[in-house]
Amino acid sequence: MSTALVTTLLHRVILRQWRLAPRATLLLTGILALGVAVYVSIRLANRAAVASFTHFTDTLTGQSDWIIQAPAGALAESVLPELRRALGARPVHVIPVLEATAAAPAAGGDGGRFGRPSYTLLGVDLIGVSNLARSPDGVGAYYGQSTPDRADSAEAADFWAALRAGPQVWISPEFAPTPPRQLSIVLDERVVELRVAGVIPSAPEAPRVPANLMVMDLASLQRLTGKEGWIDRIEFIVEAGPRQAEQRAELAALLAELGRDRWSLSSPGARRESAEVMTRAFRLNLTVLSLIALLVGLYLIFQALDGAVVRRRGEIAVLRSLGVEESTIRQVWLAEAAVLGLVGGTLGVALGWLGAQVSVRAVGQTVNALYFGTTVNQANLSVSEALLGIVLGVVTSVAAGWWPASAAARTPPAQVLHRGSAPAVGARWARSPMIAGGCLLLAVACAQLPGFPLPGGGRFPVAGYAVAFLAIFGGGILCSHLLAPVARLASAWGRRRAPACVALSHLRQPSGRHRLAAAALHCAIGMTAGMAILVGSFDQTVRNWVQRTLQADLYIASDGAQTANAQNRISADAAAALAAHPTVAAANVLVAWRIELDGRPTVLSGTDFAVLQAHMDLPWIDPPPAGTAFIGKEGPTPVVVSESFTERFDRRSGDSVRVTTSTGSRDLQIVGVFADYGNEQGSILLDRSHLVDWFRDTSVTSVSLWLQPGVDADTVRADLLAQYPGLSVLTNSRLRAEILRIFRQTFAITYALEIIGVLVAVIGLVLTLTSVLLDRRDELTTLRALGFSRHEIAVATAIEGTALSAAAVAGGLALSLGLGWLLIHVINKQSFGWTLGFALPWGQLAALGLLVTLAGAAVSYGVGRWGANLPADQEA
Amino acid sequence: MKRTLLFFLGILLAVTGAAPSRAQSDLPPLTTPEGFAVPQPGHVFSFPRDHAAHPEFRIEWWYITGHLYAADGRRFGLQATFFRTAAPDRSGDLHLAHMALLDVTTGHFLHQERLNREGWDARAAVDRLDVANGPWGLQMTEPVTEQMLLRGGIRGEASFTLELTPSKPLVRFGENGYSRKGADPTAASYYLTFPRIATRGDLVVGTENLTVTGELWMDHEISSSQLSAGQVGWDWISVHFTDQREIMLYRLRRSDGSADPASTLTWVDADGRTQVAPFTWTVQSTWKSAKTGAVYPSKVKVVTTDPATGASVVLFIEPLAESQELTGELGGVPYWEGACRVRDASGREIGSAFMELTGYAKDLKI
Repeated sequence: MSTALVTTLLHRVILRQWRLAPRATLLLTGILALGVAVYVSIRLANRAAVASFTHFTDTLTGQSDWIIQAPAGALAESVLPELRRALGARPVHVIPVLEATAAAPAAGGDGGRFGRPSYTLLGVDLIGVSNLARSPDGVGAYYGQSTPDRADSAEAADFWAALRAGPQVWISPEFAPTPPRQLSIVLDERVVELRVAGVIPSAPEAPRVPANLMVMDLASLQRLTGKEGWIDRIEFIVEAGPRQAEQRAELAALLAELGRDRWSLSSPGARRESAEVMTRAFRLNLTVLSLIALLVGLYLIFQALDGAVVRRRGEIAVLRSLGVEESTIRQVWLAEAAVLGLVGGTLGVALGWLGAQVSVRAVGQTVNALYFGTTVNQANLSVSEALLGIVLGVVTSVAAGWWPASAAARTPPAQVLHRGSAPAVGARWARSPMIAGGCLLLAVACAQLPGFPLPGGGRFPVAGYAVAFLAIFGGGILCSHLLAPVARLASAWGRRRAPACVALSHLRQPSGRHRLAAAALHCAIGMTAGMAILVGSFDQTVRNWVQRTLQADLYIASDGAQTANAQNRISADAAAALAAHPTVAAANVLVAWRIELDGRPTVLSGTDFAVLQAHMDLPWIDPPPAGTAFIGKEGPTPVVVSESFTERFDRRSGDSVRVTTSTGSRDLQIVGVFADYGNEQGSILLDRSHLVDWFRDTSVTSVSLWLQPGVDADTVRADLLAQYPGLSVLTNSRLRAEILRIFRQTFAITYALEIIGVLVAVIGLVLTLTSVLLDRRDELTTLRALGFSRHEIAVATAIEGTALSAAAVAGGLALSLGLGWLLIHVINKQSFGWTLGFALPWGQLAALGLLVTLAGAAVSYGVGRWGANLPADQEA
Repeated sequence: MKRTLLFFLGILLAVTGAAPSRAQSDLPPLTTPEGFAVPQPGHVFSFPRDHAAHPEFRIEWWYITGHLYAADGRRFGLQATFFRTAAPDRSGDLHLAHMALLDVTTGHFLHQERLNREGWDARAAVDRLDVANGPWGLQMTEPVTEQMLLRGGIRGEASFTLELTPSKPLVRFGENGYSRKGADPTAASYYLTFPRIATRGDLVVGTENLTVTGELWMDHEISSSQLSAGQVGWDWISVHFTDQREIMLYRLRRSDGSADPASTLTWVDADGRTQVAPFTWTVQSTWKSAKTGAVYPSKVKVVTTDPATGASVVLFIEPLAESQELTGELGGVPYWEGACRVRDASGREIGSAFMELTGYAKDLKI
């Protein structure tokens, strides 16, 4: 009975309302949709970026049961026969894997721009993998592919010819519609030409072959990379059978027992998880930021529904006097909110999916630059994510509609209220400056709390976000108190102008609606400006850091290294040849080894400290004692660590660290801390001579050259490039520009999220003014009767809107200072471990304030013109 | 679908790449045009060295077949084979291994292939019998008693570790081990066989651990080319009679369906002496493989003469299960190889057999 009544009422009261005011309804739905869309798109993009951390071998072999890997460096192939012996008759496939990264050669003119397509070269025994049950067609799948240059006859002879052919590569079917015959790639310092033997075959149930995956026969890749006798990891697959689970566990125990200090044992799932952990802080931050638009939307929906309650008080009173119960009225209003949420949420999911296709690239680029190579370029929507988006829309809408629904239900039946006297929106406490002050105080207190430790490293600044929320809420209340002073201030100017008098009279005693609009706009501006402060500070800090650390004239690395986890190197010979170039005055090298510490990835880097101290100035956070000898062989090796290392591993100057190298464990002693904005996982820096001993490898990751005075860096660069086409040679200015470009790219997406927030708030202003004018239909009629032109009415509204925007801008900018501080010193520090100097981007903040105020003026003028035509008797 | 690596086809095709036959001289060349050794009549073997691998030859296999019995009376057919084949340019070896197990009670037939390059996961030693492919292996553990150890399995579904003790001396088929396979003088092999091996060991089927005993047959063939031009495949049967004698029969089939004159039936008496006897081969029923579409002989009637009595002997070879086809995912050539029982004309079971039928699959192009 009650349900039927709710339905009838919903139909009669709410839907009619929507039909009569389609634009307002549309805007409201749009706001909700936008809020949901931003959240959904970031969520999808995040997931896609992490999902694209492919365990590449899966595509060839199916999921391995176990993986063993040297704790640092490579594994010697000689462990293979030992493993097979130890495994005895156990039905286990043993798959040695070598992985290399490579990049497409630079096209003419892009001058070493970072982020070109990069490839993962997977070296596996292509005969051996044919034994796996999932191999689609045995070895013939690789060595029997018909290519245009081979006839179809004499198949067996062909097989042998294909097997014995020189270095050849199989590429993804998605690499190109028709596979090229030949391919150039940059591997270490060389450009290598490879014959394309065919495409990577895949079984029907196998994961899609990523476009950037290339497969070579193991021996062939070993020769190509100069790693004969070495492999990166060994994967194990227990063959199917009734005791498979038991045998898996036995195998793990056996491998762990055999490995001890020689290798670490993991499962592919754990590796995928570690990719997730690695990027968790970054992704959580994005997710939280993506909720801002929805937060702003919450204000606006609340306000819109409340406006409707107020306008239809008469109807509600009639319904109540006809005997409709309070609970029914509440249900009707909540149902309206739910329907609104449902429609907005659904639209938002669709919009979010579209947005994800764009944002996924931005997220992917950041993950590429900071963490590991990803190939993501599309994000897919799953049913659960679609549902989540819709639920989010409904929950937001219902939460926002709760208070208005209660207000509607409480409307006394006998009371037919005068239409204009809208009572205060929201509870009285929501306007109290005391509460606002309390929120702000609590925020200051919260800001002192440490971040919440995430499993697997890193911390999530829970308190930081709580502070932000409290500040936004408290600031919003305070901001609404700015409306009256702004109005008084403006009165001095507009006392003699009728429209101004009318407009300002409203603001001197602002309605709840005004307050809410101001708070929403304040929230959006505050967050956006706060973000601008963070980015500005970051930019400034990185500029200074680059200024101090980049002193050499030329920086040289393998052109194959295009993502954060690329492993391409320069051979010792090539490095020596570079240093010996006649124009070079001094040279230094850097070698980086990815290692695991406390089960988390970090970087062990070596450089020549003598050259470093003579030519460079590390940006010290905690400098080592003067005269520290970095080369001495006695006792624990002195090292300096990056600031993010101290945050991630909770070790400071004076602490010791034990790392595993390919020749055993080594004890290190931290003697200093330096700033490094290039690596979020932290790094340990020590004299390279140690690393050459420990890893028995003389290759280097990069070379920096100081040229003799008067030598033109560009000329030398051209000369070196001609000699080593596989190297990326960057001049000092080019590298600086490149570093800054990457940092801006990293923040581009967070910026975009804030802009959407402002957009929502401006739309909200339209909505506010619309409903305010609807409430004032009587007054508008009077004004018209008094001789106000439409233009004058519009100007009055514009003044009202502009003043409201100005108050929000003032409050928002004040808030942004606090939020900027919070982002820089709490949230960023806890998430990434980077200390940034506070810098205010004045120009940007002023532009944002001006833009929002002007936008406020423009939209409110438009609303005013619409309001001027509003007939007194139009049903609202 | 292009199944281009045809391991067997590689073997079979070797003949088309071989030099034109110098049949007039009837003496085989010393090497094939690629430089692989060709089996020579009158070769003197030396053991245990010749149980090991002979990399100078192109093709070599160690082929174990037979019947196993559990204490509870359950019966199994077993095949364990290790192949070695060299690249035409002699730049390296590929190792292929096949394992198959028939549970006679259930008719459940398991098989698996494994293909590896010579290296850490596959090897064939040249100084002693020691061949391995992944977790599978065959070693001669006692050169004096010629005792061997066979380790194998089928995925995680079955595994076995068997001790092999020859209960009869090594037999050299053909002319003292030189076995002609056709008119082409290169089409020959060294053919060494342990015709009867007593075995005992552990067999795990599913989750059941069984102790088994049984009798096996082991061939070791060394060649550089097995077939002559115009031959499309072969049928091979080994019979263990209950009276401790054996028969080995191979029938080389030509494209018109007839048998090549090189086809042979050899009796092995209780002391290991061999004697060739004429035979006829009649297919009494056929079985069609649903997987490959190949139509294989199923029940075969072989008529020969008993060299001991000179009397005519009729043997009915009946598979213990029809579905014993190895579908050839890796080797590229499907074939039927399975455990059979042997009955005489009166229907009495007089022994067990293993039958191999190659070249019946439709996609085998020669």
